[in-house]
Amino acid sequence: MEVSSSFKTYWQVWGILLILTLFMIFFESVDAPVGVTIIVLVVAMLLKATLIGGWFMHLRKESIFLTVILVAATLLTVAVLFFLLIPDAMAGTVLQ
Amino acid sequence: MANQAAVRPEISWEGGTSPFQVSWQKLMMWFFLVSDALLFAGFLVAYGYVRLSSDSWPDQGEVFTMALIGVMTFVLITSSATMASAVGGARDGDLIRARKFVIMTAVGGVLFLGMQAFEWTTLISEGATLTQNPWGVKGFSAFFFVITGFHGIHVLIGIVILVITAVRLGRGQTTAAGVELTGLYWHFVDLIWVFIFTCFYLI
Repeated sequence: MEVSSSFKTYWQVWGILLILTLFMIFFESVDAPVGVTIIVLVVAMLLKATLIGGWFMHLRKESIFLTVILVAATLLTVAVLFFLLIPDAMAGTVLQ
Repeated sequence: MANQAAVRPEISWEGGTSPFQVSWQKLMMWFFLVSDALLFAGFLVAYGYVRLSSDSWPDQGEVFTMALIGVMTFVLITSSATMASAVGGARDGDLIRARKFVIMTAVGGVLFLGMQAFEWTTLISEGATLTQNPWGVKGFSAFFFVITGFHGIHVLIGIVILVITAVRLGRGQTTAAGVELTGLYWHFVDLIWVFIFTCFYLI
């Protein structure tokens, strides 16, 4: 059976996802400053999300118009939620 | 007839019949996935708010068995790769290979749910409920059950869709586009787990 190049790519992406997951579990157990840990884990998380969205969901092969609308809509709404709520939480404001 | 044509309003739409260059089924699936992603975004931001507002928070490493969570993540990532392989097979016209990988993906989903059931049972036996838990912060177990529960329901629905897809593939009733739609949903389930795994279990 001839193996297509896309088949190989999927399993290469799987390997990278696995390595990133193992790295994240390892890094979480390292005694690094909290800020550094959060930044490293979030970057690794976004990298994994990009690999899944771009390669497994084929978003990188869709039209740029569709990709921008989907990604921008999601990120914008998440950003609004985040920046409306999280600063209050960090300032110690508790909802009554 | 000539008069009717003369009064017809001028058409200004220039986007053609497919402005996003995808089928309407795929476009609707993408819109659904974005709206569903926002549901989980709401959960995770609410979780972040409560956690940052709390004076203390349980150490996840002491509450959860990280080895089990790691294996659950491995299973879900692997099932995503088998699903992508199923889509690739369907696109190549090899429906037998596609069906084989769809079944493997469903098995991965069942394994994941089994491990999640074990994790839930363990925590419940330790006294965790939606309203209280032995680790001191009430919201901790509530967020755990709600976030992982909603994700688990998505996995369960995904398994049902995968089984239907496998049956339809066997009967020759579905196309590569149908397998791709199933794939989009399953990859979304994996994508959401990436965020839950990082935000809830690791950070």
